[in-house]
Amino acid sequence: MNQELHLTVNGERCAVRAAPSTPLLYVLRNDLCLNGPKFGCGLGECGACMVLVEGRAARACVLPVSAVADRRITTLEGLADGDRPDPVQQAFIDEQGAQCGYCLNGMIMTVRGLLNDNPAPDRDALVAALDHNLCRCGTHQEILAAACRAAGLSDQGEPS
Amino acid sequence: MNRFPDNRPADQDNDALRYGVVIRPPVYRLDARAFVCSQLLHVDREALASEGITVVTDGNFVGVVAASHEAARQAAARLPLRWSTPDRDRTTTSPTVAEQRLRRDYQWPGRLGWGAAPDWVIADFIDGGLRLDGPVANSERLRRELACLLESDPQRIHVDGDAEAGLGRQGSDDAAADAALLARAVGRPVAVRLDPDPYARDAGALARARRMRVSGTADGDDFRVDDDLGYVSVPPLALWLTGRLTDGLLSDPDAAALQFTFVQESFLDEVAAALGEDPVALRLRHIKDPRGKQLLSSVADQAGWGKPVEDDGRADLVRGRGVAYSHRPSSSGDAGSGTRSAWIADVEVNTVTGGVRLSRLVAGQDAGADGPLSPLLDAKPLSDTLERKLLGLPATPPSADDWAAPGDRQLPARQTSVPPAPPRPAGTPAATDPVDLSPAVAVVANALYDATGVRFRSPPFSPARVRAALQQQSRPGKRRWWWGGAVAVAGLLATLWPWRPSIAPVARPAANLYSAETLERGRLVAEAGDCAVCHTAEGGTVNLGGRPFETPFGTLYSTNLTPDPDTGIGNWSYAAFERAMREGIGRDGRHLYPAFPYTDFAKISDADMQALYGYLMAQPAVAAPAPQNDLRFPFNIRSMMAGWNFLFHDPSPFKPDPTRSAQWNRGAYLFEGAGHCGACHTPRNLFGAEKGGDARLAGALVDGWEAPALTADSRAPAGWTEQSLFEYLRTGRSELHGVAGGPMAPVVAGLAELPEDDVRAIAHYVATQMDAPLSDPARAERAAAVVTASQVEPVGQEAGQRVFEGACAACHENGTATFTSAKQALALNTNLHSQRPDNVIQSILGGVHAEGVAGTGEMPAFAHSLSDRQIVDLVQYLRARFAPGETPWKEVGKTVADLRREHDQQ
Repeated sequence: MNQELHLTVNGERCAVRAAPSTPLLYVLRNDLCLNGPKFGCGLGECGACMVLVEGRAARACVLPVSAVADRRITTLEGLADGDRPDPVQQAFIDEQGAQCGYCLNGMIMTVRGLLNDNPAPDRDALVAALDHNLCRCGTHQEILAAACRAAGLSDQGEPS
Repeated sequence: MNRFPDNRPADQDNDALRYGVVIRPPVYRLDARAFVCSQLLHVDREALASEGITVVTDGNFVGVVAASHEAARQAAARLPLRWSTPDRDRTTTSPTVAEQRLRRDYQWPGRLGWGAAPDWVIADFIDGGLRLDGPVANSERLRRELACLLESDPQRIHVDGDAEAGLGRQGSDDAAADAALLARAVGRPVAVRLDPDPYARDAGALARARRMRVSGTADGDDFRVDDDLGYVSVPPLALWLTGRLTDGLLSDPDAAALQFTFVQESFLDEVAAALGEDPVALRLRHIKDPRGKQLLSSVADQAGWGKPVEDDGRADLVRGRGVAYSHRPSSSGDAGSGTRSAWIADVEVNTVTGGVRLSRLVAGQDAGADGPLSPLLDAKPLSDTLERKLLGLPATPPSADDWAAPGDRQLPARQTSVPPAPPRPAGTPAATDPVDLSPAVAVVANALYDATGVRFRSPPFSPARVRAALQQQSRPGKRRWWWGGAVAVAGLLATLWPWRPSIAPVARPAANLYSAETLERGRLVAEAGDCAVCHTAEGGTVNLGGRPFETPFGTLYSTNLTPDPDTGIGNWSYAAFERAMREGIGRDGRHLYPAFPYTDFAKISDADMQALYGYLMAQPAVAAPAPQNDLRFPFNIRSMMAGWNFLFHDPSPFKPDPTRSAQWNRGAYLFEGAGHCGACHTPRNLFGAEKGGDARLAGALVDGWEAPALTADSRAPAGWTEQSLFEYLRTGRSELHGVAGGPMAPVVAGLAELPEDDVRAIAHYVATQMDAPLSDPARAERAAAVVTASQVEPVGQEAGQRVFEGACAACHENGTATFTSAKQALALNTNLHSQRPDNVIQSILGGVHAEGVAGTGEMPAFAHSLSDRQIVDLVQYLRARFAPGETPWKEVGKTVADLRREHDQQ
């Protein structure tokens, strides 16, 4: 049964009609045309659908829209400050941390979520955070380098 | 003399508040002039000192003070005490009166009720004075009594409650005295909660404080109060228990006039009823004083005496009108002077709930030669006072089927956190009330008689008492024993007789037949009973039926519960509905199968049953025929159920256990009755009936899910406590357990609609079934040890580990917690420690959908992405890693295949 639900996405209030159990990802992509978050496995396994809820990373494909009705949601589209990319986005550009780019949304949002929680993580913490974000192209080295740069670490994990 | 403590240190102000709980003697009561009480022989005051518990004793008064209410309650339950057994009852015999006179006995209780539940009374000694906050009546009398208790000066006591309304006393006076004694002993402010235990017990112990017998001639022309046993005013129990009571505290002229008028005017009303005479006419005949006659006639004219009481046709309300008159002589004693009062009241009585409302009050007062004539008083404040003090107060602990108002048990905003106002300057008189309240109680009693035909010979007229009296009245009188025997035999034959008559169809009750309160009550019963869970098909319309139930005997379908006349229950009378709910017989006389838990619903009280009927009948009607049941022979022969019912069904109503608390009984009523919790949590025998004895609540398989044991055999690794059970039932998850999934998820959604105290009561009852403590500080440590043990990867489970890493670890490994990470560690999940893997497999196949449980993420279903082999590997891995102490599950492959088949069918 559809209900009218109010969401706050990227700082804007919007109303959608959806069944309460609809995954947040479907609402973001289909109703709000926010295609930053990607559909990967649909089972919370790959991390392509990552968004931020109250600043914390969340897998949007397993999150019923009703569970976030009163919460602040940020997608990849809402990360940049105007024309200036978020430092995490900039680090991924600088390190060219992408091949096909499908997992990129999840990688960036996961690192952003971690940094919100822990502004100075070490390399191990970055690896642990990205452990369950899958990349099929084998770009892991570049992705990790970008994550380290975003966290203010050198490629080897030393503070730069 | 001032024995108040000196100022307490100012730096304690913020967290100085302590909580007190008193312990009453096992036996204490006031019966007329005899106060019977066990004597305190021994108390170990140091037993709990190491836990920061202070024990306060004074004569037979015992209390404990602790940093939290919960801690104080637990300490009170554990404190080692010895009491004496009091002497046997002294029976007082009343003098016999001449037989030809009309004779009636009345009682005035020492407490009208135990107070507005739940509430707090806080006592604090500030600047050498005592300040009391809370629902305590501010009266000069109470201040004198407390001064006597504390051996101090009444002027130094400041009560922050409302001004005394003068109708009778409440348990808050007892709580005030208790709090004052405890606060003085510990030198800090102490909060005491107005709980049924002990304050409803106090009200019960003082219920026979005053007894009065009236006898008179049959025409009422000559009557007198023959007996006057007991005390007009009963001071707080602490005074009786400490032995500080002085005789001067036992009288109160205003209370005496009120009680005398209640007896006189009730008696005259009884005479009028016996003679068939109009009550006003009888009084006019009876009053000799011309000004009094004039006042009564004018009030009767104003009130439209003789005209029918307004009636809007609501079926569950009865209405009535009553009159009362009093004449209090002035101090000079002149015949023509004094205060005359005449009151006429209309009441509405809800026959289902027992609630009484004063719909109208007309009151007049004439002070005769001494003062002005007030033909009409402002009735609004008077009727408010009456409703608050006489009609709404809980006189008894809440009965098991009382629906508490949703509320929370927290201490209200602390008045003591702001510096309290200085006590009133000495010598300020209390605001005097110019209205004489003498007729107040009698006028309500007489109106109640007019409405219900029941004569209340003792106040208060609280819902529980009114309902009990109405039920008493509707019960048939005594029968001879052989008649009873014959009825029993006939009943047995009727039970065994497989064909039962149909009950004639009726038109659906009108939409406005039931009051809003009744419908709300019915809604709560329906939520507690989860009607909609079974009577709604997957994704279908609520209560339309059609949900399949796999049983060992075949498949059953739930039926349409909407008031549609052809396919639902629209033409069911209440009698038919009640028979179905209590005996499992449909309106058409066909037996119902006990998949419909009438075995539990038989315990629902009459009032709740009627409210439920009203609620269901007020829902929109939708036509939807139920699918045909698919039961194997011989189970498809419904009349077989007659024998089943004889063997296994106990249709007796719910009986509260008087040795248990009100909360326990409330929990038991909800759990065993509407909640029908045992229907899932108790295993069934070969005939599909719930097993008894040790098997009760031992856990069972229902609909492919395991309902875990609710006994001491629970497999929860961290162990349950009453508090964690409450969290789980209220929110669908508890920190050291899993979330409510499967068929339990809708149960939690239903419980979310109930008042919080009701869910607490259920948790309390379940905790006693599980022998679970209220709280357990060692749990967190135990849980942490279980979680740590699960960090080790098991050997030889690599296949399962790979599946886990891919499918589960993103949410279930707590390396970096995200918003969608599982909030509870798998190692603490009861299902992984169970003897059977069913719930684990169900959760993997179908996911965990805690709809209606706010803030819970969803676990997706893996039925279509994992093969049977992968699920078996995964389940074995989960068991080996997260429940390393348990033996591996057997036949997991077969269970996965069976459960997957059921998933594919849905």
